[in-house]
Amino acid sequence: MTGLLRPAAWLLLACALAALPLALGPYYTNVFVSFAIFAVFTASLNVLLSFTGLFSFGHAIFFGAGGYGTALALKHIPGLPLLPALLTGVLAAVVLALILCPVVARLSGTAFAMLHLAFAQVMYVIALKLRAVTGGEDGIGNFPIPPLTIPGVASLPMKDSPQNFYYFAIVVLGLSLWFMWHLTKTPFGQAQLAIRENAKRTAYLGYHVPQTKALAYVIAAAFAGVAGSIYGLFHNLVSADGALGAVVSFAPIINIMIGGIGSFFGAILGTAVFQLIEELVGRFTDKVELVMGLTFVAVILYAPGGVLGVVRALRQKWFAAPAENAAERRSA
Amino acid sequence: MDPVTAMYVAQGIHGLAYGMILFLIASGLNVIFGMMGVLNLAHAAFFMLSGYLGYQAVSLTGNFWAALLLAPIATALCGVLMERFLLGKVHAFGHLGELILTVGVAQIILAAVKGIWGTENLSLRMPPILEGQIALAGLNYPIYRLFIIGLALVVMAVMALLLYKTRLGKIVRAAVADAGMVNALGINVPLVFTLVFGVGIWMAGVAGVTIAPILTVFPGLADQVGNDAFLVVVTAGFGSLGGAFVVSIIFGLLSSYGIQFVSQFAPILVVAFTGLVLALRPHGLFGTREG
Repeated sequence: MTGLLRPAAWLLLACALAALPLALGPYYTNVFVSFAIFAVFTASLNVLLSFTGLFSFGHAIFFGAGGYGTALALKHIPGLPLLPALLTGVLAAVVLALILCPVVARLSGTAFAMLHLAFAQVMYVIALKLRAVTGGEDGIGNFPIPPLTIPGVASLPMKDSPQNFYYFAIVVLGLSLWFMWHLTKTPFGQAQLAIRENAKRTAYLGYHVPQTKALAYVIAAAFAGVAGSIYGLFHNLVSADGALGAVVSFAPIINIMIGGIGSFFGAILGTAVFQLIEELVGRFTDKVELVMGLTFVAVILYAPGGVLGVVRALRQKWFAAPAENAAERRSA
Repeated sequence: MDPVTAMYVAQGIHGLAYGMILFLIASGLNVIFGMMGVLNLAHAAFFMLSGYLGYQAVSLTGNFWAALLLAPIATALCGVLMERFLLGKVHAFGHLGELILTVGVAQIILAAVKGIWGTENLSLRMPPILEGQIALAGLNYPIYRLFIIGLALVVMAVMALLLYKTRLGKIVRAAVADAGMVNALGINVPLVFTLVFGVGIWMAGVAGVTIAPILTVFPGLADQVGNDAFLVVVTAGFGSLGGAFVVSIIFGLLSSYGIQFVSQFAPILVVAFTGLVLALRPHGLFGTREG
């Protein structure tokens, strides 16, 4: 892209996001915030899945840690400002990841996936049983949500002001996505890809495989924590089912599958598509499991490359000139 | 006998019975994994489905034995259908595709049982002969738990005989070692796969019906017991049947004594044990290859 086009595109995107609440109205603004939360959550799992080749069935533990961390901090520390509350949630997720990573960084494949399924189940049970701390099935609700204070400039109330909260959430979530996207461009991101492709060879090249995996793991946990924390603030409620249930762990996987594994923007596209499916199907049935199960099976059987895979295949079929097509086949 | 010993013995029996149930589920999982490289995440859902089918059979016929015979077979048929028509198609896409497909099927089964039988705990009455306790050497043993242990041992013995003393068993073991080579020798390996898959699901089905009178049947059953069974496979190491047996017993005892002493956090003990084992031996206690 030429020098001017790219900033112009960013500016256009920023303007569109700023104008969104006015154009969509409160209901769809909230749907969009929900989408943005899950986009960050999905992108954080994608750091593991698409870029490091680690597949987790329990990514909800970090989402939950973020949500519970923020909710508990706001409930028990009076007068805690908004950003420290957010950071508390992120820190909770990071600490959890640091505790787990000595074990999980040495695993891969099925063992990694299964161990996380178990971790998620344990966290879920703890959240249900530790009633005094987590509120059991009811979760933690109605905790105070402080205003966003920029010292000497302004104090924006967050409670009862969906529009303010929208801007706050979009800035935080947008920065998170931007950071994760740039991560893929760094030498660290390239090392991750190398591990995904061939861990042994990467080790021979002199990279520290377990350490690199551990770092990717902690980063993924931190952003899942951001998503969980914003989720808690957004709903003013964190519950075991909403933040730690199996469905929460499966949602980002399904989003990535729908979009197409291996692509950063595919994950976000997939989140949008699945959000749309849920929104539409939600009007007819409340059977989340059925919708998820059928989507899993349908995607893996009929479109294993996701939406991006379908687009790529169609473009190949319709738009590629025969000669070009042949050349590509030869090079492949 | 003093009450403390009695408690230890009773919890020990409970733990052994639960360990046997875990082994019935985990051994199927493990053989399927060893042969096809597929970790069947729907395994626990089939186990639960069999519990529900057993409940249905008992409420229709009033006979527990009929349920124990029919429900696992019906469940195994469902499993075979899944293997033939769904799983076979995603082999090309690798492990991730299989994991996701089986998770999808597990979710569909969960939605189906919730839709058909609701979310209540359904209790299944054990047959009258197996109720009560028998006294032996001054201690009381609950008959039903002893029955579970016995039944599991019988199933295991039959499976071991099949696996180690018959031609079919030889083929299965050879296919675990190298499926491609066995296929090249002119044996219909996909058919053997389907058969093993069916038998594995059948064993989980037997476990589902036998545990139903103790735990009742509810939609969380697959998660509660299934997770332990998956952890058995991970902890023992993929492909190790003897290891799965040892770890199943350890898990069963950990759970039952855990409930006795630290009731709220019993589920954590098992995961902590798994974490410890994997921290020291990433391939599992008895495992030799990567999962």
